[in-house]
Amino acid sequence: MIMPLINGLKITLKHLFMKPVTLLYPEERPTPSPNYRGLHALKVSHNNAKCVACYLCPTVCPAKCITVEAGEDENHDKFAARYEIDILRCIFCGYCVEACPVDALKMTDTFELANYKREDFIYTKQALLEKK
Amino acid sequence: MVTLTIDDKQVTVSKDATIYDAAKAAGIRIPIICHDKKLQPFGGCRMCLVEIEQMKGRQIPACTTPVTEGMIVRTSTDEIIKARKMVLELLLLKHPIDCPVCDAAGDCDLQNLTYEYQVNTNRFQDEKFNWKIDYENPLIERDMNRCVHCGKCARICDEIVSFGAYSFINRGIQARIGTEFDGPLNCEFCGSCVSVCPVGALISRPFKFKARWWSLNKVKSVCSYCGTGCQLTLGVKNNEVMTTIYDENQGFHNGQLCTRGRWGYQFVNSEKRLTTPMIRKNGKLEPASWDEALGLVAKRLGDAKGSPDSLAALVSPRLTNEELFVMKKLFKETLGCDNIDHAGGYSHKALTAGAIESLGYAGSPSVIADIKKTNLLLVIKTDAYETHPVLGFEINLAVKQHGVDIRLLSDKKGKLSKLPNAQTYVHKAGADLLLVNAIAKVILDENLHDAAAAQAIGGFSAWQQSLANCAIDQVAAQCGVDADTIKGLARDYAAAEKALIILPTGMGYPGHGKEMAQAVINLALLTGRVGKEGCGVLILGEKNNSQGAADLAIYPTSGGKEAQAILSGCAAGSIKTLFIAGENPVVSYPNRSQVEKALAAVEFLVVSELFLTETSAKAHVVLPACSFAEKEGTFTSVGGAVQRINPAIKAIGQSRSDFDILSGLFQVITGQPAYANSAAAFLDLAATVPGYAGLTQAGLGDNGAIRTVSGTATFVPVSAAAPSTEAGKFALVTGSALNHCGTLSLYGEGPMLVCPAGYIELSREDAKAVGVKDGETVKVTSATGEVKLAAKVGSRVPKGLVFAPYHFADSSINTITSGNAITWVSLAK
Repeated sequence: MIMPLINGLKITLKHLFMKPVTLLYPEERPTPSPNYRGLHALKVSHNNAKCVACYLCPTVCPAKCITVEAGEDENHDKFAARYEIDILRCIFCGYCVEACPVDALKMTDTFELANYKREDFIYTKQALLEKK
Repeated sequence: MVTLTIDDKQVTVSKDATIYDAAKAAGIRIPIICHDKKLQPFGGCRMCLVEIEQMKGRQIPACTTPVTEGMIVRTSTDEIIKARKMVLELLLLKHPIDCPVCDAAGDCDLQNLTYEYQVNTNRFQDEKFNWKIDYENPLIERDMNRCVHCGKCARICDEIVSFGAYSFINRGIQARIGTEFDGPLNCEFCGSCVSVCPVGALISRPFKFKARWWSLNKVKSVCSYCGTGCQLTLGVKNNEVMTTIYDENQGFHNGQLCTRGRWGYQFVNSEKRLTTPMIRKNGKLEPASWDEALGLVAKRLGDAKGSPDSLAALVSPRLTNEELFVMKKLFKETLGCDNIDHAGGYSHKALTAGAIESLGYAGSPSVIADIKKTNLLLVIKTDAYETHPVLGFEINLAVKQHGVDIRLLSDKKGKLSKLPNAQTYVHKAGADLLLVNAIAKVILDENLHDAAAAQAIGGFSAWQQSLANCAIDQVAAQCGVDADTIKGLARDYAAAEKALIILPTGMGYPGHGKEMAQAVINLALLTGRVGKEGCGVLILGEKNNSQGAADLAIYPTSGGKEAQAILSGCAAGSIKTLFIAGENPVVSYPNRSQVEKALAAVEFLVVSELFLTETSAKAHVVLPACSFAEKEGTFTSVGGAVQRINPAIKAIGQSRSDFDILSGLFQVITGQPAYANSAAAFLDLAATVPGYAGLTQAGLGDNGAIRTVSGTATFVPVSAAAPSTEAGKFALVTGSALNHCGTLSLYGEGPMLVCPAGYIELSREDAKAVGVKDGETVKVTSATGEVKLAAKVGSRVPKGLVFAPYHFADSSINTITSGNAITWVSLAK
């Protein structure tokens, strides 16, 4: 009867002196793992988004949170005239990144996505462009 | 029949089948890239290689090899799969793997086969092509870097469209599909090449980058332009009709479409669509609620019940059968108003007056399938191609693949004149009636007909009498076709085992009315060609449901006013309320100033329309209607095929289908609903309209059904006057432009990109005499007015004749026409 109690207290005591797993957020900030799936970013190459608006990400997206509209630029090439992710719907599965045939999309370690207005959760192309 | 074994499966097919056909019949799929069931076998891609035991396992193409008795075929041995993989590797060697930006992705034969055969690596290496991409035309983008040299585009353009815009150019590795002198594409823009391209070498520019193939909802429907009744599949996304999708298994035409059908869908989601009802207040159209608008119209119509003469309706034959039926129920039965007409009151006369008197029903005794079954086609006016382009494809196929002898009785040459061995009898404008009578006279005189059979038909002697004064030599002089030619044509027509006459009708063809139809029916009756397969007369109703409107008798049947009389009644003040459903008389009816005067004079004008057209802008109440893509119902096409349309998108804005509008009015006026839905209306329609008995909407399925016709044929004398002439003036004939149909196509982007404005076509000699060059503006003056049009100089029209299409609202040709077959005009620079 007494032994299990002592065993339990032992574990408690051990944890009292261990390094805490929690962080004093926001004073202390975590370093997410390299394969953490945070906010998406559209990769940039030659000052342009690499995205060619192939529509594979909205096709594969299980949450149907990506809206793409393709446009034709002056060279008759395809580009994403509109690229929006509804973060409120996104489940951060990363399928979009996996589906991308031109490696135009990545997931960053940005996890602080709280906002005041619903509209602010719809990330437009401009907001998603990779910041260097 | 030949029996052979394919993959251990016994199959019996006809002896002209290929191994590919036989495998298909046995349910075995052989991969293909260059083969198309509509085209002649080509054997270019080598994907369909199969092994034949009798040939010691040699690999031969299935699509070009005819079957032989006892053949043992293997379609998927390891060797064959290896060979097919190599074919794909070789194709992918030069193909840019730009699937992410290629619109064909998802619907690409090369992509699908690469995936199926798991060609992940390529053991060969080569540079890609770097051909210049053709962005020069508004509809078809040609990227020859993606081309796999299947030749389908060149073959379909040659075999079916008979235009021949493409062919292989250059040799060896430099070989590619090119145009005439490798210039920009300048063709009919029917888009057949785009539809059959197995890869993304030819893509639709209006649809470019709009959506991926797999994200489109595919909705089967029927084209709402001409009367051919082509089935089409609409590609729909986000409540928008994005494109038309090719389905080779649709309809008699195997998915073939023309410019309007394929590229003219944009009117459905046009920004110009009306979204709310509008009521004129203080001289301006103001948005209003449906209740207010319908209440106002219903009150006006209800008040007119006591004096139905003060009421009239003009209906468009673009409405569905169900809508026309409710229209009839509301106006003829409930309000007692017989002043109801459609299509200008004249363009349906071939069916509703001519065929009814001569045959006993308002339809053609023939169906579309007869075109390919006949031996001799007599086409009245080459315009049959322009009014019904997909029927034109059928004619092309009949002539080129089935060896049909084509004769054209026309006032000008046309595309059909270029068919192999086609004979065009170019006569003076307005002489067609005289010529048809003369042909009958020759047959009678030379006793080329079955006299006993012809005499058994009513009215024979009276008709024969009426032709007594027809002297061939005199006719020849009047028509400009020499007597021997007329006699030769008559003999050939009489001698042909099967002969079919094609008569296009439409708002642009005032001459093709009652008399014309009766003259050709007389000719068919005389030679015993009515009611036989591959024979008879095919009267081509202009609009998608012209045949339905004729079947349902949407015209005055008990002494009411016809369209022209309705308009003069409006002008005179006797008609106080005019309900227009879908018609645009200001542009399409003859004599624009009189139509405008009539519409301005009428006390109360209601227009239900998709757009604020020239007509609806004059209305007191405008009701926003739905397009064919937003409603259900049926259309009856040329030859009587009743086909279903299916709603592809939700109604735009607050618009309602004409069915709902008319049912709503019926409900307000009578206090009870007209029908629960269009299927119920169709049931009632089938019970009352002859020929539709036994049909149900659900029973029509995807392929529709041909409604039956029955009646007693009789000869009706047709008097034909010599064509008039006016010295120093040009004979103006109107008609349909190839890329347009009625005034609806003005709101379709595709047709407007190719043919944006009206023009006047004249011969080189006349152009020289007037002093205009191609593209310059000509002032055309008639007794009723004058209009300025761009000149189109060519060799199609003969000297002394000018042609103008009637569709366009700006400088519309009806400013100078007044409903005669020929308008005499003078031209000045």
